[in-house]
Formats: sequence, C-alpha cells, structure tokens
Amino acid sequence: MAKRIDIRNLGASYGKFLAVSGVDLSIEPRSVTALIGPSGCGKSTVLRTLNRMHEVVAGAAVHGDVLLEGESIYAAGVDPVTVRRSIGMVFQRPNPFPTMSIYDNVVAGLRLGGGRLRRSVLDDVVESSLRATNLWKEVESRLDRPGAALSGGQQQRLCIARAIAVQPDVLLMDEPCSALDPISTLAIEDLIHALKDTYTIVIVTHNMQQAARVSTRTAFFDLAGIGEAGHLVEVDDTETIFSNPSDPRTEGYISGRFG
Amino acid sequence: MRDVYHDELDDVGRKVVQGAHLVSIAMDTATKALLAGGADLADRVVAEDRFVDQLSSDIEDHCFALIAQQQPVATDLRVLIGSIRLAGDLERMGDLAGHVAKVARRRLPERAVPADVRDVIAAMGATARLLVTKAAEVVDGRDIELAREIEHEDDHMDELRRTLFSKVLSPQWPHGVEAAIDLTLLGRYYERYADHAVAVARQVMFIVTGEPPAMRRTPSSAGPGGAVHAQIRSSQSP
Repeated sequence: MAKRIDIRNLGASYGKFLAVSGVDLSIEPRSVTALIGPSGCGKSTVLRTLNRMHEVVAGAAVHGDVLLEGESIYAAGVDPVTVRRSIGMVFQRPNPFPTMSIYDNVVAGLRLGGGRLRRSVLDDVVESSLRATNLWKEVESRLDRPGAALSGGQQQRLCIARAIAVQPDVLLMDEPCSALDPISTLAIEDLIHALKDTYTIVIVTHNMQQAARVSTRTAFFDLAGIGEAGHLVEVDDTETIFSNPSDPRTEGYISGRFG
Repeated sequence: MRDVYHDELDDVGRKVVQGAHLVSIAMDTATKALLAGGADLADRVVAEDRFVDQLSSDIEDHCFALIAQQQPVATDLRVLIGSIRLAGDLERMGDLAGHVAKVARRRLPERAVPADVRDVIAAMGATARLLVTKAAEVVDGRDIELAREIEHEDDHMDELRRTLFSKVLSPQWPHGVEAAIDLTLLGRYYERYADHAVAVARQVMFIVTGEPPAMRRTPSSAGPGGAVHAQIRSSQSP
C-alpha cells in the first residue's frame, strides 16, 4: 500500500513569485520524512505539490515532476482528485466537517468516492480507522455526536482517521501538532510512529524536536533571502541531521544560530 | 535566550581548558616532589586535587543542565557529551598526579626514585607535561592536527615505561623490592595519565568531526598490566 515518492527538479510558484525551486528528493515507502526550515523556505509548498493541492491556489504553478511509484502525478490525463485520494493530507488546524457526526466524518471520503457501500462495510472502516488512530475507545459510545465537539487533539486524530479511511498510499501532514497541547502532541507522534509501518508519511514541522523524534529522514529547506526562492539544502537520516549534519546552514538552523 | 545558552556552552569549554591546566600543574608539581623530595610540594598536590574534582563535577552539572533545558543538537550536543567525558578524564588525571605525589610522600626522607632511574622518571614527567599542554591547546583551539600529534607523544611515554621496567626487572637491580614496586606503580601512573591526555584529544576530535573516538591500540590495551607481563616474560627467557 505504501508507495515511494520521487521529486524531480521541482519548483512551485504563486503568480510571478517563485516560492521554491530545484528540489530533488526521494521518499522511501514506510518511512517518515520531516521537512524542516525557516518560514518562507517552501517546505509547506513542496508538501502541497505532492498531492496537487498547490494548484488549487489561483495563479499557482508547478514545474518539474513528482513520481508516485514511478508514475507522474502531473502527467496529462491524471485526475487530481484521484491523486488526492491516494495521497491524503492532514492540516495544521484540525478541520473535521463541522456539521457531520464522528461516524460521518470518518467515512466522508468513501461516500464522496461514489457508489453505495453497505452499512456493515462502513462500520468496519469506522472502527478500524478510529482504532488505528487510538481514538476508538474514546468515542465508540458517541459516534453520532458532532466531530467538532471533540477536543483539539481528538479532532486531529479524527482528521487522521478520515484521511486513512480511504486507504491512501501516502499521508502528508502539515504541522499537524502546532495547534495541540503537549499530551495530544505525544498522542499524534505515537500515532505517526505506528502508521509508519503502513504508510509513507511526509510531515512539515516547525518543531525540530518533533522532527528528531518522529522522522526517519529529515530534509532541511532554506532561502537565500526574503523574496528569494526556497531550496533544499540537505537531506539525510534524521540521526545524522541532528548529530552531525554536513551543511553548516543546517547546523546553524537546528542549533538556533540563525543568520 | 539563545545568547545566554551559547555563552554557557563557551563557559563549559573554558572550564575544560582550566581543568587541563590544573592537572598539568598537579603532575608537574608531583614530578618535582618525586625528584627533589619536597614534602610540602607533595602535600600540595594531594590537597589541591579537590579543585580538579570540584571543577570536573561543575562541568558535568553544567552539561547536564544545558542538555535538560536547551535540547542541544549537532555540534552543541557533541560539545556537551564530549565535555562530560573530558571531565571524567581530567578527574582521573588529577587523581593520578595525586598518586605520584603520595609515592613521593611515602618514601620521605628517602627518595622514591634512585639516582640511576631519575632520568627516565624526569623524562616521563616532561612527556606528561608536554602531552597535557598540547591536550589543553587541542581543547582550547579545537585543533585536530595537534590532536593527532598527541598520539605520537603517547608512544614515547609507552617507550619510557618499557625502559623503566627493563631497569627494574634487570637481575642487577640493586635497590630492593620496595623501590621496584614504587617505580612500577609510578610507571603505571605516568602511562595512564598520558592515556587520558590522548583520550582528551580524541574527545575533541569527536566534538569537531562527529566521528566516534577510536579504541586505544597500545600494548596496555591488551589488558591491565599487559606490557608488564610481556616484559617479565622477555626478561625471564634465556
């Protein structure tokens, strides 16, 4: 199920502004890759190019290519919706569908896919997705309650359950813990650790200790100056990045010696 | 906040250099006490070892607090882990200088070092001084080239110890068992002191390059007293 991603000479722009350029990065299946770097370095933009979410912004364009298990997701005739189905995404702020119950939130993706699914099939998906996100025990007695009534940490786990309910190949996470308290953060981190065995995970985080804790590989992005395009400086095993990085810019960033 | 943290990291580095100077003075004074037979010199070394112990414990506490509070990574983390290990080496070097001073003290008013081995002991003292001075420079300047040189100096120390043992183990040794034991111990103390100076240099190489410090490859690494046993075997063979 988990698939590899190869990013080839990728660039992304918003109108005339080139946000990030020249990114070459390979992401192995069943691994967690953390994208780190200062604000404006293009890490979130890169993440959003991986499931064609970048282009939903007016005037946005992508150059280069992204291969999912060798197949370009930008090839002519590829439906972006199909791409987003196999490459799920979790956002910074938990965003359960506010009017839907917990149950309906989890199966929303499946229902959108069309076709009528038997209730027993949906029940199984809801239970397995909520179990996978360690939420089942907390909500099994109130699946019909609104998803928005859960705590922030529970909402984020609900969003992850919703993302994995459609059985994606890859899970993208854009600062999934930045709106959460430390306990909910640890719950999400434990979850990432467990999901790594099944999915390819790419996470953008501003929290370097989080990158150090959860990821197997870390990619450091930087930008030469304000208004310049961000670029990939270095990618390596997380242990190497945090103990002995090759590039002095990486060292400066992770040890807090900026500029 | 970060500036304070970086100042504190520098402070750890300065304490390590200071520790290297303290153990250098200690061993130098102990060697003088040994060769010149001064009780006050020997007493001073033994008494002042507590400053090295205190400094070593300060370095460890400081590193511990910075690791707990600042989540250091990369070079910063290597500096702190390296400094904790350096503190251990310095503490041992201070103890070894104290041991040398105690040998000097114990034999008073006699001299622990008979006239015909004074040269070897003096050379061991001088080599120890040279090694620790260089080790302090290595720490201060994070000088990798100098760190590599230290290994060669250490080979010289091992050679001096072999010379000392061949004299003590000679059938013509005229100074009796007690002097032989003292000199064997002294040889061991100087040689261990030098090994710790090498360990200091290697920790600095680890801090700078991130390569884990290599294992020792001297004869003594074959096991405690390995060189001595080899020496005894060779002196017993016809």
